[in-house]
Amino acid sequence: MLSTGTRLRSWILAIGLCAGVAACGTPAPTSSSNAPKGPLTIGISVSLTGDFSNTGKAAQLGYQLWASQVNAKGGILGRQVQLTFADDASSPTQVVTNYQNFISRDKVDLVFGPYSSLLTLAAAKVANRYGYAFVEGAGNGPSVFAAHLPNLIDAGPATAINGAQVWGDYILSLPADQRPKTAAYPSLDDPFSQPAAAALQARFEAAGIKTVYSQTYPAETTSLGGVIAKVASASPDMVVSGSQDADGWAQVQAMIQQKFNPKFLFMTNGPENPVDFPKNVGAQNTQGIFTSDVWTYGAPIPGNSAFVQAYVAKFGGDPSQIDSTSAQTYAVGQLIEAVAAKTGKIDNQTIIATLHQGSYQTVVGIVSVDQYGAPKGSQFLEEWIGGKLTIVYPPSIAEQAPVIPKPTWP
Amino acid sequence: MHLLIQAIILGILTGGLYALMTSGLTLTFGTMRIINMAQGVFVVCGAYIAFTLFNYLHIDPFLSILVSTPLLFAIGFTLQTFLLKPIRHDAHRLSLLMTWAMAIGLEGILSFIFGTDFRGILTSYQNSSWTIAGYEIPVVRALAFLLSVAILVGMFLLLTRTKFGRSVRAVSQRESAAKLLGVNTDRTAALAFGLGAATAGAAGAMFGLVSSFDPASHYDLIGRLLAICVIGGLGSNAGAIAGAVILALSESLVQAEFSPAWSSVPFYVLLIIVLIARPRGLFGVRTRGAI
Repeated sequence: MLSTGTRLRSWILAIGLCAGVAACGTPAPTSSSNAPKGPLTIGISVSLTGDFSNTGKAAQLGYQLWASQVNAKGGILGRQVQLTFADDASSPTQVVTNYQNFISRDKVDLVFGPYSSLLTLAAAKVANRYGYAFVEGAGNGPSVFAAHLPNLIDAGPATAINGAQVWGDYILSLPADQRPKTAAYPSLDDPFSQPAAAALQARFEAAGIKTVYSQTYPAETTSLGGVIAKVASASPDMVVSGSQDADGWAQVQAMIQQKFNPKFLFMTNGPENPVDFPKNVGAQNTQGIFTSDVWTYGAPIPGNSAFVQAYVAKFGGDPSQIDSTSAQTYAVGQLIEAVAAKTGKIDNQTIIATLHQGSYQTVVGIVSVDQYGAPKGSQFLEEWIGGKLTIVYPPSIAEQAPVIPKPTWP
Repeated sequence: MHLLIQAIILGILTGGLYALMTSGLTLTFGTMRIINMAQGVFVVCGAYIAFTLFNYLHIDPFLSILVSTPLLFAIGFTLQTFLLKPIRHDAHRLSLLMTWAMAIGLEGILSFIFGTDFRGILTSYQNSSWTIAGYEIPVVRALAFLLSVAILVGMFLLLTRTKFGRSVRAVSQRESAAKLLGVNTDRTAALAFGLGAATAGAAGAMFGLVSSFDPASHYDLIGRLLAICVIGGLGSNAGAIAGAVILALSESLVQAEFSPAWSSVPFYVLLIIVLIARPRGLFGVRTRGAI
């Protein structure tokens, strides 16, 4: 049995150890304005492998272009930007690990967001726990903002639901005799695609467009033949696909194989990729397919032409091959620059406070968010016409009027 | 009724391809009593070979099988000789881990060579379909089904009408007895492993036609192939075919008639029932333990 003195010493030792561990525990967010001068380190998780790999790489390019340009101008508040990337393999589990490592192991100054609403929500919660600002350009599903995270800012300029509503605006602007009478909604179980399609379904049903099919398929579905067979059997005038890339291609291929050609085909994601979409469905099969987006290389947005020139100069290729995701992530960097220019500081708390007020010009348009980081703007409608993604609505910025109905598959 | 029959057609066509993928897994288990976790990545290798030959040499994917099959045979034979053979007798249980390591390694090599973007093989007939009695028969799926059947028949003849086939069946039934009868069991196992990889290579070329893929696509595949094997019976070719058709049909029917969210459920419920009620599978045979 221990003596009283020994027990007392043990308690003091235990309390001392606990205090020491606590002091070494949760790192406080770095206040860059007080930190020694050195590079401004930014941790970013990108989907270089997995389901989002096609667009994940585009996200990385946008960040890299921004960093190279800002460093050429002297950096942020005299500090050279140093980006650190990690592959999240399109996995919500891995993305959490990546941001945990960035913050607690690498002790980066800032973090930027990943690609997709699925990964953004998981990652933003990690950043919030440590008091880091989470500025992101590719996560705008409703679940992201429903989390009510105070640190999140979406460099939108529109939420997933509001962005897709431009399709509803267009369809309901048509004379009644030109509108579709029936609609089908095959959707991927995804926090971006499915809510966007569901919101359109609710709006169209209220306007009298009858729903003849509405189902959600799991992310691991490899063949959509059965889904499209059911859609085709209902003969809808319009198909609103809540899709991402690979399943979007599979939907189009299945429609062609089953010789099912709706008069109107809108897809939430897939057609906005100017390279992979025609490559995977066939360039001749893109005609008449609609999607919504925030950016295209020809969009009349201040700073856009300079962005396009800089992108082509750095990465080569044709402007028409630039994925809009690159512009969205570039806009994230522009917001950080705006904070530094406005406040003279670049710490996380300043970023959070500053970007939740006011509006900021970026290459994807004016960005203004509410208290939960949700952008307040809208998107434009694009259609594949003659092998080119073309802005067709709203009329104020349309390159040409929409071509309807969709032609039969060649 | 039209939708039901259309779904059945799609299910059967898909089932044929899955049967070919699984036949190699069955063959490997039958001769070596190991579960080859790399079977899925062998299929993906076949898809990348077809993708490369099509994009750079404009060789049709069905013709590329003439290249992918011997190439995957060589890869399988080599891997078995250097990685599996040393542990085959002494550390048999490690073979599951070893084949999984092979799968991860091959995935890494594919990622390094081809990158990680999703790929597809877009031939001129990719999206074509024949209309027969009002039903749409996708051309690629129909050709893949027919070719799969032809290769499976070829394998059946190989296993039943050739000396090599007799060796394989002898090793499957009782390795020790086969050895006593003069069969070089190690060589037979290596050739069988190579043959299993070769069938995966052939299936991979067709897989690349019906689905987009990336190096990580083998994770989805291997789960399905193992489930098919278990339901059909490990070591049974007839079981592999039956299990594949059951999987593909159930998914297609549920997807079309009910909800795609539930399409995998019936098959995996059947898997649980089979494991409980008939663990050797629908067509599997009872195996005797070692004396």
